[in-house]
Amino acid sequence: MSLRQAILTVSLLAVVFASARGEEPISEADREFWSFRTPVRVEPPLVEGEAGPIDRFLVARLASEGLVFAPEADRRTLIRRVSFDLTGLPPEPAEVEAFVDDESPEAYAHVVDRLLASPAYGERWAQHWLDVVRFAESDGFEHDVVRPEAWRYRDWVIGALNADMPYDRFVQLQLAADEIAPEESVATGLLLAGPDMPDLNEPEERRHIFLNGMTSTVGEAFMALTFGCAQCHDHKTDPMSTDDFYRLRAIFANTMVGLKRDEKLGSVVRETGREVPVSFVMTRGDFQRPGNPVEAAFPRVLDPGEMAVSPPDGDAASSMRRTAFARWLTRPDHPLTARVIVNRLWQHHFGAGIVASSGDFGHTGEQPAHPELLDWLATELPVRGWSLKEMHRLMVTSRAYRQASRGGGEAWERALEHDPGNRLLSRMSRRRLEGEAIRDTFLAVSGQLNREAGGPSVRPPLPKEVTSTLLQNQWEVTPDEAGHRRRSVYVFARRNLRYPIFEAFDRPDSNLTCSRRDRSTTAPQSLMLLNSEFSLATAEALAARISVEASDTGERIERAYAHLFSRPPESDERALGRRFLDRGSLVEYCLALLNTNEAIYVD
Amino acid sequence: MQALDHFPTSTNRRQFLLRAGGGFGAVALSHLMAGESAVMKGAHFPGKAKRVIYLFMHGGPSHVDLWDPKPDLVKYSGQPLPESFGSVMTRRAVAKNPLLAPVTPFRKRGQSGIEISDFLPHMAELADEFCVLRSCHGDSVNHPQSVYQMNTGSILGGKPSLGSWVAYGLGSENRNMPAFVVMPDPAGGLKGGPSAWGSGFLPASYQGTTMRPGAAPILNLHPQDRISAARQREILELSGALNARHLEQRDFDDELAARVRSYELAFRMQSAAPEIVDISRESKATHALYGIDRKETREFGTRCLLARRMIESGVRFVQLYSGDTNGWDAHDDVLKNHTQYCGATDKPVAGLLFDLKARGLLEDTLVIWGGEFGRMPMSEKGLGRDHNPWGYSVVLAGAGVRGGMTYGSTDAIGLRATENTVHVNDLHATILHLLGLNHEHLTFRHNGRDERLTDVAGKVAFSILA
Repeated sequence: MSLRQAILTVSLLAVVFASARGEEPISEADREFWSFRTPVRVEPPLVEGEAGPIDRFLVARLASEGLVFAPEADRRTLIRRVSFDLTGLPPEPAEVEAFVDDESPEAYAHVVDRLLASPAYGERWAQHWLDVVRFAESDGFEHDVVRPEAWRYRDWVIGALNADMPYDRFVQLQLAADEIAPEESVATGLLLAGPDMPDLNEPEERRHIFLNGMTSTVGEAFMALTFGCAQCHDHKTDPMSTDDFYRLRAIFANTMVGLKRDEKLGSVVRETGREVPVSFVMTRGDFQRPGNPVEAAFPRVLDPGEMAVSPPDGDAASSMRRTAFARWLTRPDHPLTARVIVNRLWQHHFGAGIVASSGDFGHTGEQPAHPELLDWLATELPVRGWSLKEMHRLMVTSRAYRQASRGGGEAWERALEHDPGNRLLSRMSRRRLEGEAIRDTFLAVSGQLNREAGGPSVRPPLPKEVTSTLLQNQWEVTPDEAGHRRRSVYVFARRNLRYPIFEAFDRPDSNLTCSRRDRSTTAPQSLMLLNSEFSLATAEALAARISVEASDTGERIERAYAHLFSRPPESDERALGRRFLDRGSLVEYCLALLNTNEAIYVD
Repeated sequence: MQALDHFPTSTNRRQFLLRAGGGFGAVALSHLMAGESAVMKGAHFPGKAKRVIYLFMHGGPSHVDLWDPKPDLVKYSGQPLPESFGSVMTRRAVAKNPLLAPVTPFRKRGQSGIEISDFLPHMAELADEFCVLRSCHGDSVNHPQSVYQMNTGSILGGKPSLGSWVAYGLGSENRNMPAFVVMPDPAGGLKGGPSAWGSGFLPASYQGTTMRPGAAPILNLHPQDRISAARQREILELSGALNARHLEQRDFDDELAARVRSYELAFRMQSAAPEIVDISRESKATHALYGIDRKETREFGTRCLLARRMIESGVRFVQLYSGDTNGWDAHDDVLKNHTQYCGATDKPVAGLLFDLKARGLLEDTLVIWGGEFGRMPMSEKGLGRDHNPWGYSVVLAGAGVRGGMTYGSTDAIGLRATENTVHVNDLHATILHLLGLNHEHLTFRHNGRDERLTDVAGKVAFSILA
C-alpha cells in the first residue's frame, strides 16, 4: 500500500467513523438560548392608570421610548375588528347599533363573550390550525385520491375549539387519542393530514417520506422548531442533529404500521402492537441508507433525559410512546408548547406575533419583541386551565387591542417615527382579510351565507379553465346549491387544487406547514374581485337585499354602508354614491363597494 | 403575477415608511422592504439569456427513439437486459423484458452531424442550434414526483417552480403582464396538477399565471356579460375615488396604495393580454411556419406563436405543456404515441425556433425542450416503453448555449446516465446560470432556512456555455 493509498484509507475511515459516531454534544450555551429555557414568570410592572397585565408590560416599554398608546378606536371600528378576529365574519348592522348604543361599562365585554360563544369562532380559528397541520382532503401527487372521511378531523378541531377544550388536552388527543381516549381517535387525523404517495413502488420509501413529514410537522406545529432540515443533515443553526430527528421520528414509527381507514372515523392512527420496530438514522435522509439505530427520545436540547414510557394498560395494543411524548409536551414548564400557542393567538389578534417568526423559535427566527410579556402569557395559559378562550379574552379586552389604527397629531406622528414597524404596539395594526374570510364576508353581507355547520365538505362550481388543469372528474360539483354558500372552512380542500379565491389571497400549499401566511397584492386578486361570477352574484344579492330594506336612494346607500362597512356614509361618500346611481344600477354600485379597500381591510 | 411592490411609485418610499400609519401598514411595509432587499434587482452577473421558453413534453418522451441513438440497442434488440446492468428500479415490471430497438431510424443532421431520429424532421433542420444533454437523470420513476422535480427540484410537492424562482429573481419586463406565464395543454391536466407551476413558499405573486388562446386568455380577465366595459370603467372610478379618500385618512399606507395599483394593473391587463393573444394580424407565412394552417399542428402551433409574442412583450418565463394527462407516456406503443405527439409538436417547435432566430430573439432567449423523464430501453407490452428517470435527454437552444453539440452520455443501451451526468439540480443550476443567476445565491428564507431551487446540490455544466 502506497503512502497515498494509506492516507486515503485513513481519511475514508475517519469519514465513516464520523458519520457513525459524530453527534455533536449539546453544550450549556446551546441550552441557554431563550426559547429552549423554561419561561420565567415576571409579574407585570406597576404602571399608573393601567390595570391589565398585558397593557402594563406594553405601556412600560412604550414609556421607555417616550411613547404612549394611541387613543381607543371608535365603537364601530372596535366591533368590526373583534368580530372579524374572533369569528371571521362582519358584525350585523343591528349588532353594531346595539353596541354603539350600549352605555354600560360591560358593553364590550359582552360583545366578546357573545363572539367567543358563537360556533363561528371555532370555524374561524380551525382554519389557522389546519394551515399548520397541512390539512387537505386528498393525498396529492398523481391521483390525488380523496380521503372521504377527512372532514371528521376538521370537525373535531372546530368542535374542540368551540368547546374550549384545554390546549394541553387538544395536543394530547391529536398525538395519542387512540392510546388515551379511543373514542376521540379522530383527533389523530393531525398525524395523517399531510400528503401521501400510495402509488410509489417502494412501500418503504412511502413510509419514510410520510413519517418524515409527520415528524417535521409535529416539531413545527407544537414547538415551532424547523426540524425538517435535520432529516438530511444536522440542523445548521439550531442544536438539533439528524439523530435527534430520527429519535423523535421513532416515537411515531409504529403509527404507519396500523394506518388504516376506519369506516366510521376515517383515517385514524392505530398501532398494531406494543412491540416497536428498531429505528435507524437515515443517512442524508435516504431511505435506502439506514445508519446507526436510535431509541425514541425528546430533542436533547430540550430534555436530555430518557423518555419515560408508561406500560400500556391491560390489553392495549400500543406502544404508548406518543402518550409519553404528548405528556412531556404539555408539561406546564415545557419551554416551547405554551409560548408557541400564545404567540400564534397574539399573531392573529395583533397582526404579528411577539415572536414575529411564529413558525420558527430557533436561532434563525426572530427574537421576541416583548420577552417578559411572552413568558407571562405562556405561564398564564396553564394557570387558566389551558383555556384558549380565556387567553383570547385577555388579549382582545386589553387596551392595546382596542387602540385606534389611524390618527393624527403629535403623539401619533412620534409613534410613526419611532415605532415604524409597530413592534412596540403604539397603535393597532391594520389587516387584510384572508381569502376564506373575504368569501365568507361577501356571502354574509349579501344575506346568502348558509350557516350549516359540520359534515362532508362541499364543492361549489369552478370555471372550466380551472378544472381543466386537473385530472378528469376531480371536482364533482355538490348537487345541493345551498351547500355552495356554506362557510369557507367547509369548502373541499383538494391538495392539488386550492380553491381559486383562497389561492389568490395566499392560502398556503397544503404540502407544507404554515404558521404565518404571506400577504401578497396581485392583479389576479383584483381581476377576481372585479370580474368573477362570484363577485357579481354577491353584488346582485346585496342589491336585492338593500332594495327590500329601503326604497329611497339615500337610504339604500346607508344600508349598503351598514352591511359592508359597519358605519354610515360620510356626506362626500353619499354624494359620490348618488352621482353614480344617477346612471348606474344598484348592482354596479354594490360591485364598486365590494372592490374598495375598506371591504377587505380591517382597521 | 408580477409583484406590485416592484412598481415605481410616485411617492417617495422613505416618506411612506415615516408616514406609514395604522400600524400594520407599517408592518407590511417593512415586510415589503425586507422583501425588496431579498429580491434580486436583476441578475447576479450578466447572463446571456434574458428570458425562457420551456416546452414541457408531459408524460416522458423517449430519448432512445428521439435524441440518443444506441447501436447496441439495435444489435441486442429482442434479448433481455444483460446481467451486467444489475437490477433496475422501474415503475412497471419491465426489468426482464426484451430490449427494443429504436422504432424509427436516426440520421446525422446539419453541419454538426448530431443524430436525431425521423420522428422530428423539422426540428432536425435546426440541429446546429441544439445542445442535446444526453445524460440527464432524476430520482423518481413516478410521473407527478418527476414532474415536480423537473419543475421545482424536489420530488415532494409544494416547492416553488423554476419559473417562479426566475420571476422572483428577475421580475417582469412588462408592467402590464405577469412575469411567468403557463399555457397548459387544453386536452387535459398534468399528473400532479397545477402545483407544477406553483410558487410554493414564495409569495403568490410569483406563481405561474395560466393563459390560453382566444378571447378570454386569463381567468376573470373580462367582466361578466351583465356588466359592459363602459360600466366597468365607472365602477373602477367609483371604487378608486373611495379608495383615495380611505387611503388619505390612513397615512397613505403602502399596502393599501399597492392594492390601488393592482386595480390599475388589472385594468391595463384587460387590454394588454387580449392584444398579445390576438394572432390575426400575424402573416399567413408566419401561421404556416408554426403549422397553424394544418389541423394536426394548429393547436400547439398557436401556443408556440403566443409564446413568441409573450416574450416579445416582456414576459420573462413562458412554459408550454404538450400532452394531456397521459401525453407522451408511451407504455403501449411508442411508434403510435410518438407519431401522434411528434406530429403535433415538431413543426410548431421548429417554426418557433426559426422565427426566434429570424427576429434575433434566439440570442437572448433560452429554449428548453424536455419531459419529466425518458423511457426504458426494454420493451413494455411488446411495442411500448416504461418510464426511465435514470438517463434521458433534454435539449437546450438559444441564448448562451453552444449549438450543434451533445453533452454527456448514457450507457450502451440508454438505461443510465454515465458520463458528464446532469442531475435535475444540475440542469436547474445551469439554466439559472444562463440567466445570470447564481443558484447558490438565489435564496428565500422559509421556516428558518435559506431555501434554493437546487437545495444543497447543483453543478453548472460549464462546457455547454457559448
